[in-house]
Amino acid sequence: MQPTRVLQGLRYRKLRLTTKDVNKGFYKGTGTGSMGRHTNKGGYIIEWSKVRTYVVPSLEGFKLTPFVSKNVRKLYGHYDDAEGPRSPSAYLARWKSENGFD
Amino acid sequence: MATPAAIRPSLGAALHHVCGSTRRIAVTPSVVQTAAISTTASLLKRHKYPGARDNRDHSKHRGESAIRRTGTRWRLSVSDEPLPKPVPLKDLPPVETDPDHGLWEFFPDRVTVAAVPEEDAKHGRGWSVEELRKKSWDDLHRLWWVCCKERNRLATGEWERRKQKLGYGEAEAAKRDDEVKVTMRGIKHVLTERQYVWEDALKLAEDDPEINLSGDGNPVFAPSEFLEEVEELEETVEEMQREGFKEGAGETKQLSSNVAGSVDAAETTSTNSDQGAARLRQGV
Repeated sequence: MQPTRVLQGLRYRKLRLTTKDVNKGFYKGTGTGSMGRHTNKGGYIIEWSKVRTYVVPSLEGFKLTPFVSKNVRKLYGHYDDAEGPRSPSAYLARWKSENGFD
Repeated sequence: MATPAAIRPSLGAALHHVCGSTRRIAVTPSVVQTAAISTTASLLKRHKYPGARDNRDHSKHRGESAIRRTGTRWRLSVSDEPLPKPVPLKDLPPVETDPDHGLWEFFPDRVTVAAVPEEDAKHGRGWSVEELRKKSWDDLHRLWWVCCKERNRLATGEWERRKQKLGYGEAEAAKRDDEVKVTMRGIKHVLTERQYVWEDALKLAEDDPEINLSGDGNPVFAPSEFLEEVEELEETVEEMQREGFKEGAGETKQLSSNVAGSVDAAETTSTNSDQGAARLRQGV
């Protein structure tokens, strides 16, 4: 759902309306996003495909940290293609050699 | 006066009694003159004339305090019932906490609430995108959540430092946070890039004669040249692993020459030497 544009336009910019202003006809969200759809009776149906869920994997035995030692210099990859890492032909060739056979 | 008239002893009445007794003892029939004080019966009645102003204490609960434990002003019907006494704070049993609770991960350890700036400053640099490109989905997924937890820990520390006015530490924590954000940005970049490349490669694969995407049960990849040299390739890979990649360029050239005969030479030599070089750079 989008906020009511009419009341956020040119002449109303100085008013800086909040969600509590204006009786009806003005909607302003809070940035949490749409989780479903409204019914014509005034209700709301939650669409679970829209609801965000967090999949946290098990961190048992995981040794990587957010940091890399400063002694390890950053290296830039060497790619033969002009597209470099975005090259689909290189990706496909790599797939064929590594993952082609089940 | 705090005590109400109801339970105040009637001093006027007592004095009157005393006066009466003295009168009985006295020989002379003369009346003993006593000065009238405020609680003399006559003076107590001074506000009882018609039209007298209202003098009573309108606040019936004046002085009662639950916090100060004063009790009630009058005895109640339940005043004699035994009430439980509150346990003093030092005698309370210690709060039981779960040592494995997930919320403990918001803190550096069980004792500290915010890390010391010296400890926060001990960090490396964030992962570069080239380093992250080598990682699998599982590794990147777990690394993301490690970064999330680190940022949560830093944010909790910052909150506590401000709340309790613990002092310095914001600058070091901010720098650490910046490096973590660099890693997280890199992870997002790599995954987006992989998605786009995969989509483009899929489009390319539709036109590839070696790849069958119809889903009719036949293998997806049917190479035009059969890999008799696959065993040779595997042997050379094992040799390299055993020797530990001591010779750099020479080995990779050998590997690439082996591979050239098996699959499309032009495309894979570059990527395999790339992989070999990449493996070398990793220091494996």
